[in-house]
Amino acid sequence: MLIQQLINGIVLGCVYALIALGYTMVYGIMQLINFAHGEIYMIGAFVGVIGLGWWGAEWLITTNPWIVLSVAALGAALFAGGWGLALERLAYRPLRGAGRLQPLITALGASIFLQNFVMVSLGAREKVFPDLFHGKGIQLSTITLSASQIAILVVAPLLMLGLTFLVKRTKLGIAMRATAQDLKMASLCGINPQSIIAVTFVLGSALAAIAGVLVGSLYGVVSFYIGYQAGLKAFTAAVLGGIGNIPGAMLGGFVLGMIEALGAGYISSEYKDVYAFVVLIIILLLKPGGLLGERVAEKV
Amino acid sequence: MRRFFLLALFLIVLFWISSGCKGGSHIVIGYAAPMTGESAKMGDDISKGVLLAVEEWNTKGGIHGKKIRVEGYDDRADPKEAVSVAQRAISQGVRGVIGHYNSSCTIPASNLYDEAGVIMITPASTNPQVTSRGLKHIFRVCGRDDQQGKTMADALQPLGKIKVAILHDKTTYGQGLADEFRKHLSSDIQVVLYEAIQRGDKDFSAVLTKVKSVQPNVVMFGGLYPEGGLITKQMRDLGISSIFLSGDGTYDPEYIRIAGKAAEGAWLTYAPPADEIPTAKEFLKNYQAKYGEVGPYSLFAYDAANILLGAIAKKVDASGLELANIIRSTQWQAAMGTIEFTEQGDPKQAPYVMWTVENGKLVVKK
Repeated sequence: MLIQQLINGIVLGCVYALIALGYTMVYGIMQLINFAHGEIYMIGAFVGVIGLGWWGAEWLITTNPWIVLSVAALGAALFAGGWGLALERLAYRPLRGAGRLQPLITALGASIFLQNFVMVSLGAREKVFPDLFHGKGIQLSTITLSASQIAILVVAPLLMLGLTFLVKRTKLGIAMRATAQDLKMASLCGINPQSIIAVTFVLGSALAAIAGVLVGSLYGVVSFYIGYQAGLKAFTAAVLGGIGNIPGAMLGGFVLGMIEALGAGYISSEYKDVYAFVVLIIILLLKPGGLLGERVAEKV
Repeated sequence: MRRFFLLALFLIVLFWISSGCKGGSHIVIGYAAPMTGESAKMGDDISKGVLLAVEEWNTKGGIHGKKIRVEGYDDRADPKEAVSVAQRAISQGVRGVIGHYNSSCTIPASNLYDEAGVIMITPASTNPQVTSRGLKHIFRVCGRDDQQGKTMADALQPLGKIKVAILHDKTTYGQGLADEFRKHLSSDIQVVLYEAIQRGDKDFSAVLTKVKSVQPNVVMFGGLYPEGGLITKQMRDLGISSIFLSGDGTYDPEYIRIAGKAAEGAWLTYAPPADEIPTAKEFLKNYQAKYGEVGPYSLFAYDAANILLGAIAKKVDASGLELANIIRSTQWQAAMGTIEFTEQGDPKQAPYVMWTVENGKLVVKK
């Protein structure tokens, strides 16, 4: 049971981590908590459902579920990336330089808008995600791993590695880090902060959308309100790991997933969410910057 | 000048709203149910049942020449919201309300209706407390969870000495049903696990892993179809082969859509099949022609609306209490059959039967 619970925790952690990255990257550069990020995740999941429904080609799903899932995830990433870009353009860019409270409130508004937009345009009912793998999975004595869980366990770490590489090794990554450190100085050095911010939004949204498609295929159901809870958990993960810190978001996601799985498994599932938040409070009391957060000197 | 203009505009809007509310030459009734959110499908079914009944009355010429108007209220399956829409319904002068769906919404809202003398007939809230608090204006046309829990427990009797795991969603309905079920279990049956889950959650792998480790023969779930469907699916994914047993909150085609193949063989308690009741055939035909698939509470909502309108037709200017007395003292010929109410406001007969999923369809279990 312990191993199974650990697997449950890691799978959950992978999802939280993927979404948390979007929060943390945007916060790192703009000091903005993008509350509409959970909604982007939801839109990603919806793109997955709609895309697979359109395709409709049953035989393709039965013969090549992995390819179908990859294409759906890619499509969702592109589409949600577009939404992220639009959100930044329409909701946040006009408020650049207006202080920190205004964009925050705009983010809340954008979240409510997107949720209701999807509800009105696509209906309030649950959408069923096509069953891609028909219960195929791995069975090792008492441990069961479904195909969708395997997909998450493979894709999420790969994406996180890819993102780390991008941020650490590429020119774009250097520009992103420079902008995060000091926006004004970076722009003086010839980096266009507007485009860096846009790229950050697109990257974060794409990761969240891929998480949405993977989660959709794991649970089989997508609805317009899933972004709220997922967003809240991922935000918690980002804070837990130290908001603004990319490895921190990944670590925070895994820690949160693990706490939830073990807490629900060994204490009681009734207060699953309570454990996560209790741990968050304890960590913030002991280390106010989060697990990997550094105490950054106040920017002047 | 501008300020005056704004004030005038404000007053016009105010008049417009208040005049729109009181209905004037209309008789206004309402339905209150979750029209958005997780249980939106149930709200949709309930509203359609009510609308169909009202339309039939209106084509017959209304009540004493007065047309009937329906107001819809969305409680979003949230008790706080339910209280606020109840307040709104009362202030808009409805004679009666068909609703709510969730017991946790019905119970707090019913206090307001009762105080204001507005009739409330719930088509779907099965928690005993809905009617057991001595409220005069509150009725239901469905059964109660103590009856339902007993039906569930009795169905396990033939299985002999077995182990049962109980999950519930902490709501008034879900936990109430789980507790009634537990109370009625025979001493042969051992409850190996009693756990709560969170409404709105999608991931139940942690609690189900725990279920797997205690190896129950039956997993009983007190709750609604969104979680019920996911639990069934994830249970099978984890390789748990226990019987899935649940109540009327899970009884819905949506449950099968969500759980997919995993739903096969699930046991669900619900009312006897409507297509075997001769009087319900007419309803089924009309409903299907107009709205398509009949939901589990469409018929209940239709009958509830007919009873409310029937009572109003008997005495148009009756007070709330008079209407309640008419409803209580009349033998109603409804589509489900004859409905008579007890002093409490429950139907005198409310049998539950066990259903099961066979080839993706809900059928009565033999």
